Amino acid sequence: MATEERKKEILEKLRNAVIQYDEDTAKEYSQAALDEGLEANDAIFNGLVSGMVEVGKMFEAQEYFVPELLMCADALYAGLDILKPHVKQLDLGVKGSVVIGTVEGDVHDIGKNIVKMMFDVAGFTVYDLGRDVPLDKFVAEQLRTDSDLVCLSAMMTTTMTGMKKVIDDLRKKNPHVKIMIGGAPVSQDVADKYGADGYAKDATNALKDAINMIESLKKMKDEVEAKKAK
Amino acid sequence: MKTSLKRELLDHGATVVGIAGLRGYLSGEIAHLDRAVSIGVDRKLNEDTLALLTRLQKRTVRFLKARGHRTLAIPPDSDRRKGTFISKLYSLFNHKMAATSAGLGWIGKNGLLISPGHGPRLSLATVLTDAPMRPDVPIEHCLCGECVLCIEHCPSQAITGAKWSRSSPFTELVRLGACRSHKTSKRQTEGKPNCGLCINICPYGRRLGTEAITRQNKQDITAKAQRTQR
Repeated sequence: MATEERKKEILEKLRNAVIQYDEDTAKEYSQAALDEGLEANDAIFNGLVSGMVEVGKMFEAQEYFVPELLMCADALYAGLDILKPHVKQLDLGVKGSVVIGTVEGDVHDIGKNIVKMMFDVAGFTVYDLGRDVPLDKFVAEQLRTDSDLVCLSAMMTTTMTGMKKVIDDLRKKNPHVKIMIGGAPVSQDVADKYGADGYAKDATNALKDAINMIESLKKMKDEVEAKKAK
Repeated sequence: MKTSLKRELLDHGATVVGIAGLRGYLSGEIAHLDRAVSIGVDRKLNEDTLALLTRLQKRTVRFLKARGHRTLAIPPDSDRRKGTFISKLYSLFNHKMAATSAGLGWIGKNGLLISPGHGPRLSLATVLTDAPMRPDVPIEHCLCGECVLCIEHCPSQAITGAKWSRSSPFTELVRLGACRSHKTSKRQTEGKPNCGLCINICPYGRRLGTEAITRQNKQDITAKAQRTQR
């Protein structure tokens, strides 16, 4: 078992590896964390993710630009790949599954992938449909996997309109499913107009919103079941 | 800084190293990294060129990061891991553009980077950075002269014979469709898509001795001219 000091050092190294987009160090210290008996959970959240949070701040402050952000995400995944099989239990209170994809006609999936990463990190089961996804496929996949959440992404105003159709279809088939949308042309106004439950400005917000949504969804399901029981 | 970086890379196996100033040449996402360290390694058979290029790239990244600069390593074209976040941005960038801007060579009639000393026999990797190094002098025009060996030897007549210049980068030098279909049929008959005649035949940097070839080439050209005169 590592001493407190050593533990701190490993977490700091993991954090810096993500900030400094250094995949090799991320791998090295993820392995060290496992070898020296740190909790995988601890290493992910207090190491890798804490680094990514800092990266998010630097991105907002325009200290980092898109390439740095992407390389940081790669470094995080490099560590996550090593740590994830050893995660015992995630202590976020909620667990859920999510269907995610970029809508038909749109091949821009960088934003979608970063949101997906946050779900991965938080221990959600992610069904990633990829990019340029036919609109019907979202509905079919939601029904197949009985996911709590569907996330739609569009980067262009021309493809954004496709999200409206998916939302309408989903509502018809399953009124309880929660739907989040995101992407450059999307705003709160658009989300309201299309009837989405949430709109995410960026990946961190997407995760927070998602957790809130699933909580409310679970509550709703419980209430329905409680009524049935009566 | 520039000299010591070059020295370090050359000491560790790089064949040529140049610094390119790329302000105004890069697309928005990567425009803040406007210097490029262009690294060329002579392709020798039986040698692991890719591994060497990767090592040199990592060395460059470490060198620049240690001095507080940003880096974005663009791996060799033949060694691109798919599925990473950053790999989406690789297509925004062209190694040959950096190499000509760094004065390592020009784009020959065969569409490849021709280095005066090594011909089309270099494998390239690039590290983009914001380190303020003084750029080397770019090569502006094609220096192939009257040589048409690659055009004559191309089995699919794909080479148009147009001349490259740095100011008109989108001239069609090679009919890619023709080149590709030749390689596809080669793959079907021989199992490997290898062609590379336009590389082998190029007199620049050829091991047989540049002089002998160019002399031969000159004789060919004069003979041809005489024939047509008759």
